This record gives sequence, C-alpha cells and structure tokens, in this order.
Amino acid sequence: MIHFQDVSVLYPDGTQALSGVDLHFERGEFAFLTGASGSGKSTLLELIYREIEPTGGQVIVDGQDVSQLPRHLVPLLRRKVGVIFQDFRLLPQRTVWENVGFALDVIGTSRRDKHRKVPLVLELVGLGDRADSYPDHLSGGEQQRVCIARALVNTPPLLIADEPTGNLDPAISRTIVQLLADIAERGTTVVCATHDTNIVDIMQRRVVELVQGVVVRDAKEGGGYHAA
Amino acid sequence: MRLNTVEFLLTQAWSAIVRNGAISGAAITNVAVALCVLGAFALTAFNLDQQARSQAAAVEITADLGKGAKKDDLDKALRQDPGLRSLRFVSKNDALRDLAQRWDLDLSALERIGNPLPDSFHVVPVDPHQVDALAARIEQFDGIADVRYAEQTTQRLLTLARGIKLAGLIAVLVLGTATLLLVSVTIRLTIYARRREIRIMQLVGATNWFIRIPFLLEGTFQGAAGGVVAMILLLPGYSYVQDVIESSLPFLKLVYSPQMLALLAVGTVLFGCFFGGLGSLIGLQRHLRDV
Ligand SMILES: Nc1ncnc2c1ncn2[C@@H]1O[C@H](COP(=O)(O)OP(=O)(O)OP(=O)(O)O)[C@@H](O)[C@H]1O
Ligand SMILES: [Mg+2]
Repeated sequence: MIHFQDVSVLYPDGTQALSGVDLHFERGEFAFLTGASGSGKSTLLELIYREIEPTGGQVIVDGQDVSQLPRHLVPLLRRKVGVIFQDFRLLPQRTVWENVGFALDVIGTSRRDKHRKVPLVLELVGLGDRADSYPDHLSGGEQQRVCIARALVNTPPLLIADEPTGNLDPAISRTIVQLLADIAERGTTVVCATHDTNIVDIMQRRVVELVQGVVVRDAKEGGGYHAA
Repeated sequence: MRLNTVEFLLTQAWSAIVRNGAISGAAITNVAVALCVLGAFALTAFNLDQQARSQAAAVEITADLGKGAKKDDLDKALRQDPGLRSLRFVSKNDALRDLAQRWDLDLSALERIGNPLPDSFHVVPVDPHQVDALAARIEQFDGIADVRYAEQTTQRLLTLARGIKLAGLIAVLVLGTATLLLVSVTIRLTIYARRREIRIMQLVGATNWFIRIPFLLEGTFQGAAGGVVAMILLLPGYSYVQDVIESSLPFLKLVYSPQMLALLAVGTVLFGCFFGGLGSLIGLQRHLRDV
C-alpha cells in the first residue's frame, strides 16, 4: 500500500529531516510511528499525502509514485488518504454532520451519496447521536472522532494520523487508538505517529522508530515504545 | 455538475459576500463608479463619432467654374474620378435662386443687381474621409476656378472624439486598476477568513478549481452588482442629458435608440462581471497557495 524506497528529505533551510528511509506498509496494516520531537515523524507522513515531496528516493502510495505526481492529480491522491491531526481542525460554524458532509461536498459528491455515507461513518466512530451538535460542545475525544469520521467518509484505503491523541487524556486516548485499530481491521491501512509511550506499549502493534530522520527500529508485531 | 455541488459553491460565495459586507459594498461602489465613468465617456465618444460621421456623409464639394470653362467636357472628365460618388451641375441662375430662397430675398431684385455667382459643380465623395484628396484633384482641372467644402467642423469633431476616447481610456485604466485592487482585497479577506476551510478542502482532495470557484463567483457577483448600479444610474442620466440637449441645442442630435440602450445596459453589466472576475483571479493568484 505504501512503499518508501531510500527516501530522504532535505528542507530548503538545510535541515536533513529524513535520510535513507526504506519502509513498507501493507493493506489493512496498523503501525505506530514513534520518535522524539523533531525526529521526522510529521515529515514522513506529509510525504504520503504529498504535502511535501522527497528530495531523494521514491514514495509509492497505492501503486503510484507520489514524487512523480503532477500537481493537478494531487487532489485525487488526497481522496485516497484520510488525514487526522492533533488539533482536530473542525469548522466551528458547522455541526458534526455538516463537518463530515463538507468533505464530500468539496469533492463533488451527490446529495444522495452524502446522506447515505455520513450517518454510516458517524455510527462507525460512535457519534450517531451527536450529529447535530457543534464542535465546541463536544469533548476532545468526541472532536477527534468527528475528524476520523471526516477522514473516512470517502472510504479511503489509507488513514494517516499525526499525534491524534496529543490533546487527549490517557483514557480517551486509548479509546481513540482502539478505534483506529478497529478501522485497520476493516481493511484500511493506518499509520499513527505518536509520543504516547503508554498506548504503544498497551497496543503491542508494529512500531517504526525514528531518530533524527533515520529508521532505527521496525518491530513488526508486539512492539513497545522502547526497544526491548 | 451535481445539484449538491452547485448549491455548495453558491452558498460559499454568498456567505462570503455577506460576511465581507462593508468591503464588498466598497468594491461594488467602486465598480459602479468606474463603469459610470466608462459609460459616460463611451456615450460621449460614440455621439461625437456619429455626429462627425453624419456631417462627413453630408460633405459636398462645391467647385466653381471659371470664365469660359467648357461645362460638358469638365463634367465628363470629372466623372472619371473613382473617388466621386455623384456630380450635379448648378448654373449661376439656379445658384441665385437657391440663395434667394434660403435667405428669403427678392429674386427679381437680385437679378436686377446682376448675378455675381459662378456656375458650379456640386460633388459628393465616395468616402467622406477622402474629401481633401478629391478636392485637391478637382482643383487641378482647367476651368475650375475655386473649390470649397465644409471640412473644418467635421475634422474638429473627429479630433474631439479621438481626444475623448483617449481621456476615457486613461480614466478607465486608472479606475479599472483601483477596482481590480479592491476586488482582490475582498478576495484576500475571504481567503483569510476561510483559511481553515481551504486547508481542509485541500486535505480531503478538493481540486484547485473547486476551491477557486466560490471566490470567482464572489468577485463576479460584486462586478455584476456594480454593473447593475451603473446601469441604473446611466440610463436615466443619459435620457436626462438628451432632454436637456434637445431643448437647448436643437441642432445636436444624440443617438437614442432602444438597441443602443440595451447594448449599454448589457455592456455595463458584462464589463462589471469581467472586472469582478479578473479582480478575484488576481487576488487568488496572489494569495491562495495551491495544494
Ligand atoms: N518546513 C520546514 N522547514 C524546515 N525544517 C523543517 C520544516 N518542517 C520540519 N522541519 C524540521 O525537520 C525536522 C523533523 O521535523 P518533524 O516535524 O517531521 O518532526 P516530528 O517528529 O513530527 O516532531 P514532533 O514530534 O515535534 O511533531 C525537525 O528538525 C524540524 O525542525
Ligand atoms: Mg510532528
């Protein structure tokens, strides 16, 4: 699903954010991406949805070389990659339902499809009964669920999460990460960058660890936050 | 495009216009002022042009015959000129009768004094703008004593029309630039107000054009609204000026036809749309980062 081949990223200011990264993520896989602040986690994820381009190597997403992708096709790539962030990025003037529907409106979905898909995905993230609430009236965990719903409503094969629990307390964080793991069970590839030692240790899933832009560990299954 | 999509794009554009209230109003006013000035200049230039044209069309060269000139030979020779549309001989007696009639004089009294007028040819050129050249050629003929034509008023009108067009062009350039700037400022404000939405749109895979359309609609709407305001001011304004001129300067005839008024109305609104659309394109180009 995602292939990194000898990928490096050198920012214009001279920061070597990634170097020699070789990684593969299968369809339906769930993986954590760990590492200290500034180790290159966000940079690696941004390559996947073509927020940035690699300065060396290849990034292949769903069979497509992202670095070769012409600009006008970037939106089509983005439709295959759902992205969620630490800072939710919801629209405060729109209800939960509208926030999720917005993602469909802007890619030209018909009203019928929208009315079919939005309730399904809200049900999936456990917000079936909060559809008409505004984001400000929701807890942090609920807001992140709205983001997940928005990222998934177009049923992308990939879900990218950049520190999705950064603003949440430990108990809520666990339920969110469990939701992401459940989503992976349904066949979506999920890559989740996190600082959260606890969660990584509890989940015991694949862990890719970065140190200063280099992959130093790729524990296939049952990885903890720290190398054993 | 799907109905849902059209509705989405229109709602986006409309809410931006409402949110930007005051500055939208300023942009619309600016478009209206620019178009009023443009329209006033266009109307003035157009009328001067028409006036000059109708004068030019009536241009007639009067070629006086010298003593002992052979009228029939000259007639034949002059008709060879390809720049000549028609030629009419006016004898000195006819000329005297015309004069008497025009000024309401007593013909027999005039005849008693003795007729001072010469025989003449009245010549109409094919192209009024070539009247100079034709007159010069006619003057060359043996037997033609003098050549006269009313060229000066025509030339002056044409020069004036050219001047007005130039002044209009400059005014439109200045006002047009101001308009484009104002519209692009409102677009910039909207981009700023919408930056979160735009970011989300880009992340979930909206195309660049899809993101731009509401902004283009917003600018085009402002332009169209300005155009309508200008039209509402220009049409009655023109008819008022026409009334005034009709009563005070009856020899001046302003062009006033339903076709022209319709053209003016449609033209103003289209120009407004064009200015608005262009302004928002400029704003987008300068302030919206692509995906
Ligand atoms: N746009 C940029 N221009 C220059 N340098 C950048 C840019 N973005 C990130 N960097 C640098 O690249 C390195 C990796 O940054 P990145 O954001 O990928 O780290 P991270 O692992 O996500 O950190 P955090 O856990 O704090 O989010 C850092 O040294 C950072 O300062
Ligand atoms: Mg980061």
